[in-house]
Amino acid sequence: MSRAIVIGAGHNGLVAGLLLARAGRKVTIVEQRGEVGGLCAASEVHPGYTVPGLLHDTTGVRRDVVDLLGLSRFGLAFESEAPSVLAAHSDHKGVVLHAEAKRSRDELEMLHKGDGDGYIEWRGFLSRIRDFVSGVLSQKPPMMKPDSIAELWSLGKTGFGLRRLGKADMLELMRVAPMCAADWLQEFFGDPLPAAALAAPSAIGASLGPWSAGTAASLLLYECVRGAEVKGGPAALTQSLQKAFEAAGGEIALESEVARIRLDHGAVCGVELEGGRFVEALLVVASCDPKRALLDLIEPGTLPLDVEEQVASVRMRGMTAKVNLALDGRISFRDREGERHARAVVADHLDDIERAFDAAKYRACSERPHLEVSVPSVNDPSLAPAGKDVVSVLAHAAPHNLEGGWSGETSARFGDAVVEVLERVAPGTSAKIVAREVLSPADLEDRYDLTGGHIHHGEHALDQLLFMRPTPKLARYKTPIEGLYLGGSGSHPGGGVTCQPGALAAEAILKG
Amino acid sequence: MPIRSPFHERVAPYCTSYTWKDWAGYYAVSHYGETHLPEYWAFRESCAITDITPLFKYVIQGKDAARLLSRMAVRGFAKMQIGRVAYTCWCDANGKVIDDGTVSRLGEDHFFVTAAEPTLSWMSRLSRGFDVEIADVSEQTGALSLQGPTSRDVLKQCSDANLGRLKFFQTTSARLDGIDVQISRTGYSGDLGYELWCDAQDSLRVWDAVMAVGRDYGIQPAGIEALDMVRIEAGFIMLGVDYYSAPHVTIDARRSSPYEIGLDWCVRLDRGAFMGQEALRAEAARGSEWKMIGLEADWLELERLYESYHLPPALAPAACRQSVPLYSGGKFVGQVTSTVWSPLLKRYISLASVKAQYGKLGTKLKLEHTAFYERRTVTATVVERPFFDPERKRAP
Repeated sequence: MSRAIVIGAGHNGLVAGLLLARAGRKVTIVEQRGEVGGLCAASEVHPGYTVPGLLHDTTGVRRDVVDLLGLSRFGLAFESEAPSVLAAHSDHKGVVLHAEAKRSRDELEMLHKGDGDGYIEWRGFLSRIRDFVSGVLSQKPPMMKPDSIAELWSLGKTGFGLRRLGKADMLELMRVAPMCAADWLQEFFGDPLPAAALAAPSAIGASLGPWSAGTAASLLLYECVRGAEVKGGPAALTQSLQKAFEAAGGEIALESEVARIRLDHGAVCGVELEGGRFVEALLVVASCDPKRALLDLIEPGTLPLDVEEQVASVRMRGMTAKVNLALDGRISFRDREGERHARAVVADHLDDIERAFDAAKYRACSERPHLEVSVPSVNDPSLAPAGKDVVSVLAHAAPHNLEGGWSGETSARFGDAVVEVLERVAPGTSAKIVAREVLSPADLEDRYDLTGGHIHHGEHALDQLLFMRPTPKLARYKTPIEGLYLGGSGSHPGGGVTCQPGALAAEAILKG
Repeated sequence: MPIRSPFHERVAPYCTSYTWKDWAGYYAVSHYGETHLPEYWAFRESCAITDITPLFKYVIQGKDAARLLSRMAVRGFAKMQIGRVAYTCWCDANGKVIDDGTVSRLGEDHFFVTAAEPTLSWMSRLSRGFDVEIADVSEQTGALSLQGPTSRDVLKQCSDANLGRLKFFQTTSARLDGIDVQISRTGYSGDLGYELWCDAQDSLRVWDAVMAVGRDYGIQPAGIEALDMVRIEAGFIMLGVDYYSAPHVTIDARRSSPYEIGLDWCVRLDRGAFMGQEALRAEAARGSEWKMIGLEADWLELERLYESYHLPPALAPAACRQSVPLYSGGKFVGQVTSTVWSPLLKRYISLASVKAQYGKLGTKLKLEHTAFYERRTVTATVVERPFFDPERKRAP
């Protein structure tokens, strides 16, 4: 059987490669960087301090994919329960939002009467629709015009699943999905903090604020698939994938940047690497972003015009910057001395998030960014020297298309703003910083070859999800070029560490 | 309101008929004098000069210029020689014709394109990722067409171009009264003829220089009406008359593939991807629904038809752009799209679009004809195109 090439050794590339290798294909993963893992690769911030991945949230990793791949045999393990998140606040101790809602009830009720019950109610709804939503996310996006009995059956099952929610939840789901996250959450919470903390993820990966329509859908898609974190974080996930892949006979070529996907009579015949080396293959799975794959790596003028134009108009405006901090000591959140929190969301109010987005909308960096903070050394002390923390922050909003462009100076200024916000919720943090690394969206584009510096390979917006991700004609992983498939975060179900796009791409290849 | 071409100042005084048309947003003369016939005869007997500035004109430059045009048009341009001109058409993704025009290769990475319709946006859309610069030079470029048997003599007298070596569908740069011009041996008359392209600012001087020597060669400013007659004799189709631009029509039945408008010879299927390739490949394999044909009406039958009303045949010697139905066995099988009674050929000829099975040479069809208010038919035969094809058109 001829060779298959997977472009990119990130989690999705590894998953696709592994499934193909297990199916008997001879698979080579070509990776432009000198290490495996992509956005999940660990990196040293400062001697002795390591962050386990540019992305740090592994709560979206699909259990069924992991089970299918048998990754536990290669060292993969999950934490025992879904993580709690500290909704930190500038003026008070905030609240801890547990996945198990009733554990947060008292704290929330103290904050605002009724919010504890609101949270229970909100989580209750999510848990009732969870199976349906995660079901939709774990299969190929439905075809709007099924072309076979199997497709019709699959669409029918999805429809049936929706109906099975019961009339009340089905209608509620349909009411909520196109809403803005802010309006929806405010139906449950009187205090601004829990609404802000819960809305924050919906604004990540999209050029939207919590008051933008459709953000409720992103929030649903995010919340309904969350589970426990991978032990050791993203890096541990890709390490186990690498082991499994190599055990299945696959090979990984590092420092091998693809210059062109070569075609012969409209079908893939191999890839040409930077430096000129040609690797023959009749199957190429591109886990890089769809613009990189189809606009940069394919000879211009080859794709059908409509596909080309749709890909070109996929919105990929990076809004996320990464700030890694090495601390001489432990991070301590306001009024929570002695408590350890591996995850925190920093936004006092929905309006803070909206204002951060406003700035980015007009090509400026937010002066008061909202933060998603991970302290990986809480669960894995080996990532930092004893008694000290390494902190990984995804900060918003920092537009890729910053007016005047990104420079060392603008990055440093944004880094200062991030630290200032963090200082408010975790006083004393700035004094503990021994090293700080700021990666602007422009840096992310350079380092990881992400178009627009977009960590999700395309914004999560209603028109760029499900059967429209990345575009309606490319939503089934197949491209108009025979032998070329998309298998990265740019495809359904989207970005974040889930492993699902890679798995579904492999399924599309193997099962047709 | 139309605008004035850079030649307007010179053209207007000749236009004693005051009949103007709007051609692509420009004032264009319909006919200059009392009738267009002297202009028609100048095309065929001496030299007709026509202001063709209203054509859309583009300069494509850059490393990928040939690739862009090869993606757009139904033929490739990689191997085209510098100094050659090609007539071509371009299609949408469904293989339906958008427009037709000429492409001249002026240098390795330098092309000049003419079109009947605005094409800048289409070319730009197709150029993503290509190293090209597309310039719309429509307004900056003055264009004159010199067509007819003495056109070469006129140009020889007023320019330094080596016209003896300029073959049919070739182009050359030249000096004309000290002005840089581009001369291509092309035209819309099907006769010996040239088209001149100059900086719009030099237009009047170019006109004056050509007219000054042209007088000795029977030069005659000619308008659209005469041009329309000669182009039908030459068998040339016209956008908006013989076919419709695919994006401009609302129903698919009005769209045509190159195969359906007689441009089969332009299409090169087996090459890199180009717009409409898949659809055209499928159509080539399947066969086309429609065919563009030349048609000649039976003159004696027409005479008899008029005679039955005690009338002489009344056909204006002018082009008619009205479509007229064609029948076979009482069934509608297509339509005539352009018709002229050719004073030169003494034939009543048409371009017609018919269902493919009725397009064979020699097929007899019934052409609707209204004589004295009554719709009748006369026999018309499918004949070769072009109707008029003099040797001098290609002669060295």
